[in-house]
Order: sequence, then C-alpha cells, then structure tokens
Amino acid sequence: MRVVIADDAVLLREGLIRLLEENGHTVVAAVGDGPALVAAVAQHRPDVSIVDVRMPPSHTDEGLRAAVEARARVPGTPILVLSQYVEVSYADDLLADRAGGVGYLLKDRVAEVADFIDTLERVAAGGTVLDPEVVGQLLVRRRRDDPLRNLTPREREVLALMAEGRSNTAIARRIVVTEGAVEKHVRNIFTKLALPPDDEQHRRVLAVLAYLQS
Amino acid sequence: MPSVKGMTTYPDERLEPAPALRFLRQLAVDTQFILIGFPLGLLALVLSMVGFWLGVGLSVIWIGLPVLMATLLLSRGLATVERARIAPVIGRRMPRPHYKTSRGTGLWQRMVTPIRDGQSWLDLLHAMVRFIPGTIAFCFAVTWWAGTLGGLTFPLWEWAIPRGPDNSDLPELLGLGDAWSTRVVFYLAVGAFFAITLFPVIRGVALLEALFARALLSGVNELREQVVEAEAARDTARAQKAAAVSAEAIALRRLERDIHDGPQQRLVRLAMDLGRAEQQLATDPAAARATVAEALTQTRETLDELRALSRGIAPPILVDRGLQAALTALAGRCTVPVELDAPPFGRLDPAVESTAYFVVAEALTNVAKHSGATEVRVSVQPVQTGLMITIADDGVGGAGMDKGHGLAGMADRVRAAGGVLSIDSPAGRGTTIRVALPV
Repeated sequence: MRVVIADDAVLLREGLIRLLEENGHTVVAAVGDGPALVAAVAQHRPDVSIVDVRMPPSHTDEGLRAAVEARARVPGTPILVLSQYVEVSYADDLLADRAGGVGYLLKDRVAEVADFIDTLERVAAGGTVLDPEVVGQLLVRRRRDDPLRNLTPREREVLALMAEGRSNTAIARRIVVTEGAVEKHVRNIFTKLALPPDDEQHRRVLAVLAYLQS
Repeated sequence: MPSVKGMTTYPDERLEPAPALRFLRQLAVDTQFILIGFPLGLLALVLSMVGFWLGVGLSVIWIGLPVLMATLLLSRGLATVERARIAPVIGRRMPRPHYKTSRGTGLWQRMVTPIRDGQSWLDLLHAMVRFIPGTIAFCFAVTWWAGTLGGLTFPLWEWAIPRGPDNSDLPELLGLGDAWSTRVVFYLAVGAFFAITLFPVIRGVALLEALFARALLSGVNELREQVVEAEAARDTARAQKAAAVSAEAIALRRLERDIHDGPQQRLVRLAMDLGRAEQQLATDPAAARATVAEALTQTRETLDELRALSRGIAPPILVDRGLQAALTALAGRCTVPVELDAPPFGRLDPAVESTAYFVVAEALTNVAKHSGATEVRVSVQPVQTGLMITIADDGVGGAGMDKGHGLAGMADRVRAAGGVLSIDSPAGRGTTIRVALPV
C-alpha cells in the first residue's frame, strides 16, 4: 500500500516509516502540518493516510481538521487518525461525511504492530474502525432508562466490537464463538435497540454509533 | 505570608538627645499646651454654645441654618488648631480627618453639607466640653508649678512675707515648731515633693486633655483608617494568593507541555520499536537486534529528558544541598560566563530557596538565549529581613514583562512569595534584574 504520514514529532514519523516499510508498505510522503497533509493527499492519492490529531500551530486539533478537508478534496480517501487521548467529538467529526474508510485510534495502539497493520488495511479497504476506548466511553454515557440494560453481557460485547468496526468473522474470532452465533447476537441487538438490520459493515457502525450517541 | 514592608537595608539613624533634655522639653511642651488650652477652652465654649443655641433657636426662620453652619465651620477650625496642638503632646501627627465635601455647587447644598457631616458635629461637641478637662489640667498645672517654684525658692522670698504676731505658718500648725530653719526645711521639702512629682503630674493631665481631644476629634477617623488598612492587607493577601495560584498553573502547564513533547513521545516511539523488534524476532533476528539497540537509545534519551524535567520541578541538588550549591551548579551550566557572589546560607524556608533558585535559573536562561552577553554577575545576599538577588548582564537589554521571556511568570513567583521584582533593561545597555524576597 502507498501511505502518507502526517505527524509533527520527528521521532514518531520515523518510527512509523520503519514500521510500515518493514511490513511491505511504501511511505510516499511524510509531512509535519495540516496544509502539507492536504497537499500530499491531493498530489499522491495514497491508499491510506495516517494523521496525528495534534499538530502545529495551536497543537489542538489541526490534524483532524486537515483530515476532514482532505476527505472533502479527495472524497472517500481512507484516513486513520491517531490521538494521544480519547475525544469522542473527534469520532463525530470524522464520521460526519458518512463515507467509509475512516479510523480513529489511540497512539498507544501502534505498539501492537500486527493489529495496527491490520487496522490500516481495513481502513484502506473502506471499513470504519474505532478504538475500543472510544467505544467504551460511548457506552458509558447513557441515560437512565437505558435500553442497553436489556442486552445480555455477551450482546454488549458484540455491540462494542461492532462499534469498533469489526466484521462478523472478526468478532467470531475475537470472542471465540461460531459466526452463526455472532449473527444471532447481532440480530438480537438490532431488535432490542429497534435498529433496522444492516449487514454492510460501515453502515452498521454508523447506525450503532448514532444510537449510542443519541 | 510575610510582607516586605518592614524590610530596610539602610537603618534610620536619628540622633537621640540626652534623656534629661528630653524630659525638660516634654515638660515645656505639656505646660504650654495646658496653659494655652485653658483660655482656648473658654473661648471655644462661649463661641460654640452661643452659635449652636442661636442656630437652633433661629432655625424656625431661615437664618438659623446659616448660623448653625457657621458654628460648625468654626468648630472645625478650632478642631484643626487643636489637632495640631496635641501632636507634640501625644507624640504623633494627627492627620486631618475626612470631612464630607459638598457634591453640588448650589448655595443650599453648600450650606447643608457641613450639617450632614458627622465629624463636624463631633468637633462642635469637643468645642463645647473641652473646657472641662482643660480646666482640670490648668488647675493641676498651676498648682504644681507654683508648688515647685515657690517651694524651692522659699529662702529667697520668705523674708518678704509680712508676719504679724498672730501669724501661724503651716509647720507651726503641724506642731513642728516656729524656728526659721524648720520653716525653710519644711517648705523646701514641699517644693522638692512638687518638683519630683511635677513631670508625671503635668504629663498626666496634659495627656488627659490631649487624649480627650483626640478621641473626639480623630477617633472616628482612626477607626476608618484601620478598616482601610485591614482591607488593603486583605487585598494584598488575595493578590499574593492569586499570583501563587497563577504561577503554579503556568508552571504546571509548561510541565505538561514538556512531558508531552519530550518523554511521552519517546516512550511511544520506544513501544513502537519494541513491537517491531518482537515482529522481527521470528523473521529477521539481525534486524531485531538493530531495532533493540535503537530502543535502548530511546530509553537513555528519555531518562535524560526526565532528569532535566525533574530539575525544573524540584532540583535534587537544591533539596539536598541547599541554595548556594544549587546556584553554583546553575552558574556552572550556563553557557555565558557567570560571576557568582553568594555566601553559604544555611537552610532557608523551602519556598524562599525554590523561588530564589528559579528566579536565577530563568534569568540565566534568558541571558543565554536572548542577551548575547559576554558576562553575567549573579549576587544573592542576605539582608536584614530577607534575600537580595541581583542578576546583571552586559548584553543587548530590552527585556520586558510582555516579551514572552518568562518574566511575567517570574514576577508571579516573586509576588507569591511576598517579594518585589524590578527589571532595568535599557536597549543596548544590558539587563539588571533585582529581586527582594522576605524570609
């Protein structure tokens, strides 16, 4: 895959470059600020971009805004956003254009190299990936009369994994059950939460997130 | 927090006259105060009583009001004179108290204002009743002076007293006999008694009259001043606390930024490298070894950064060995040659040590980064009630609080510790920072 990296910390940029190249990918551009990212995406049309949320000049959310702008310029270009801590509103902004190929991970996940590469490939393929911690926070802030309480613990697990953007196969592998069992859980979840059933992975994530955030 | 108000580097050296001279001077002051106070008291009584009752009586027709106002103003004048007079007696200056000033310029407004002012009424009351302590004091004063002077000079004038055959002097009445020597000794003794008790008595009655006046004429004002002072002290304490909180907040924010940009990034990179090394162990051990070596370098550099950060929070050398050792270390680390003048202190209050250290550290950082100086002189001297810190360089000058050189943070720290900071930095002529800290 051809990858663009945007991160203002030289240390991390170099680390990512080595990591990707050791896993058979090519880094076509490595930049240090938002405008450079947008330009690089427009110029190189990479298979996926990795963007740090916090970049100069104000070190708040330049990276995020650049990612949104890049997606506007090159619709659907897959972007994986990395951030130091969970900020649920970032997820909202990223998913706002309702197109697939978006990911939001904590920087720490980069250390688990195999998972990271897998996530990257999923995003490049058009999937939607959310960090488990983001999903965890979404599941926490609930109302009093919470229909989620009607879910069994297993169903909550499956819901969380769905929100992270995993396919049924991946979920089955993760919690060590058959794919059929997963499909049954998913159907139950959608019924209990009164959501229209949807098999398309990306739309599923959006639906679940929309539900969790309402 | 101790304030720096009591701190003085150059003590006042007033010459004190000999004690005997002081006594005589005070005696003279008190006596003239009492003697003049008596006729003044009578005058004040007459004027104030007449004016007041006239004003009150005539207030049914319009002229009563201006009469009253005139009386009050007159009392104010007498009160001002009195305040000046009592100052040498009680040994303190009596400042003019706050009188209400008229808000408008109309005749009616100007007339009514003194009537509405409380202190003017107190002045009037004083004018009316001051003759009481005044007369008491006068009687005592005259008696004692007469006793002293008369008694002690008795032999000089006793020959002039006509003594008929039925004359009985006091000693004779007391049964001591009629001899001339007895009389002389007796009256000399009486004179001595009056002389010995002269100073305390005169002082006592003068103070009685003066303090009575002070209570009426300045009492309210003094209360008001105390309140103002207390409020000012409270405001200062609040400002100090705000400065302390602000300094801490700024320091913590800087710390967070430093941790994030430094050690935290390095540790993420470290995790990445170790993850890669783990991946490479199976496929390419030689590459894994190289990656682990990289990871080791990251670890070492992270440790260095953490060490520098900890120096920025609580330098170990300051905590363990004290201010002088820490300053020497700072001077050694500075890229510009430093001439350090700091005697061995012994341990001071940790807040003071820490503030002094960070002031010098920040100043030296600025010198190294912005001044282009060839030499810096740092002096930290203990003075009467604190520490005097001076940092002077011969660089380009032009330093200011607003320039983002961390001087605002330094000022906050200094203020929080109850000290004062001054920056003298003319362009082109070097910078001198002076800080005074109380201990």
